[in-house]
Amino acid sequence: MRLEMGHIYIKDIQFAAESKIEDGILYVSEEAVKAVALEDEKIKSVSFDIAKPGESVRITPVKDVIEPRVKVEGRGGIFPGVIAKVDTVGEGKTYALKGMAVVTAGKIVGFQEGIIDMTGPGADYTPFSKTLNLVMVCEPVDGIKPHDYEKAVRFAGFRVAVYLGELARELTPDETKVYETCTIKEGMEKYPDLPRVAYVQMLQSQGLLHDTYVYGVDAKKIVPTILSPTEVMDGAIVSGNCVSACDKNPTYVHLNNPVVHDMFEQHGKTINFVCQIITNENVYLADKQRSSDWTAKLCKMLDLDGVIVSQEGFGNPDTDLIMNCKKIEAEGVKTVIITDEYAGRDGKSQSLADSDPAADAVVTGGNANQVIILPKLDKVIGTLDYVTKIAGASEETLREDGSLEVELQVLTGATNETGFNKLSAR
Amino acid sequence: MKKNYMIITNNPLVPRKLNDEYTVAYMDISYEDVLKEVRNRIHEGHRLLSHPLSGSVKPNETPYKSVMITERREAVDEESLMIIENAIQACRKFVFKSDKYKPEVYEDFQIIDWTLLESAVASADAW
Repeated sequence: MRLEMGHIYIKDIQFAAESKIEDGILYVSEEAVKAVALEDEKIKSVSFDIAKPGESVRITPVKDVIEPRVKVEGRGGIFPGVIAKVDTVGEGKTYALKGMAVVTAGKIVGFQEGIIDMTGPGADYTPFSKTLNLVMVCEPVDGIKPHDYEKAVRFAGFRVAVYLGELARELTPDETKVYETCTIKEGMEKYPDLPRVAYVQMLQSQGLLHDTYVYGVDAKKIVPTILSPTEVMDGAIVSGNCVSACDKNPTYVHLNNPVVHDMFEQHGKTINFVCQIITNENVYLADKQRSSDWTAKLCKMLDLDGVIVSQEGFGNPDTDLIMNCKKIEAEGVKTVIITDEYAGRDGKSQSLADSDPAADAVVTGGNANQVIILPKLDKVIGTLDYVTKIAGASEETLREDGSLEVELQVLTGATNETGFNKLSAR
Repeated sequence: MKKNYMIITNNPLVPRKLNDEYTVAYMDISYEDVLKEVRNRIHEGHRLLSHPLSGSVKPNETPYKSVMITERREAVDEESLMIIENAIQACRKFVFKSDKYKPEVYEDFQIIDWTLLESAVASADAW
């Protein structure tokens, strides 16, 4: 599959009478985006705001972060099975609005995720302090069930992102990158001397606010399968989860998965990037066994030499991670696993809830229990009412001077397990 | 017909959601004590069916936990034992704050715990 990614750099976002992109400035008609969000009758009202890097702004509770894209050539459309009709994506030409994001926020449950600070120490930990953010706060109709509200906000974010992406359809990209994968046979013939490496991506799939969707299918209900890594660039995988925001993959991360991008960088040079294998992280132990068995089987059938495995979340998924690692290694395929750590506030506790000698190559996204003080910022988009109830926070979180004492868990993307974060030992 | 598994829980929503086909052992105890209760039953020969650390709301943050185990007693299952011991260990690295939320939040914690269990019930009932 060959996908041309056209990057259109957005330098500023402004509200205006008409939505358009001109000279790198995204003009947004508030009326138009409101109408797009309110297409779902479960949303009573929506407010839009703009947050720019460096501003004294805190966005919370964040549900998802989405990069606007548009499919200009090739099969299907962005977010297949969700917004666009079901069709296999990942080939042709796609444009992305770089440097900006649509951020959805809204109170779905009383303990809510996550925080994006646009300045201060918190901004150093979340990758979304560096993007121009169009934030939409959605209020549901009265008496709505959490399931329905979650779904309504999830879809509203995608609709708005697709609406903005469409504005770029006729533009000329500032930069174009080409991503091309081979078929199994082509790859073997073209790169006979390079190690055959795949990316195993584990998807969060446990329940309300803990779900992920693949071509619109609830990832709990999939068995492990193979994707061309270009498919994810067209939105084949979308996020429905945000609890413990530090190590959950917002849709933005699926679209821009750094493991996929880094493996493409090395494709044909040091490795033959064979494919992406996706699997889930269910609650039921027999599901874990089936999924890890199948993942290892696929690795063997594809004659892989190595895989990179990324986890999403903590605790329950630690078991899937170690099962995958152990079984794939047992098939003679080398593994590198990417995780994060819950090592206690002092960093002295065991980092993972499971381990095995086969997991001897591990990359960490950081310690999610690490404590951080977030100073009071001038403006809050969303509400601070829920800050006391997010993972890693409590009623004692909000201090007298207005600052917050929290664990890194609360910051969207702080310890991301695809490496889409700012923590580094460098 | 009775299901061939049982649910150990401290979430009052669970017995309200499941009819009498299901065996629910509801106890008004702490999150950690639910895990310890499960450990006791594993020592008696029950096997774990759902992961005790399900969900991203961490131990000691949510007060609620529901775990599914087999109804039948067999030889002690080593893997179940290892998972439950690790889960009890993991509990202790989180600062206890399950009692520090406003009252309305507890209902949401109950809903989340229920949806996590519900996904295990869906898988178990597919057999």
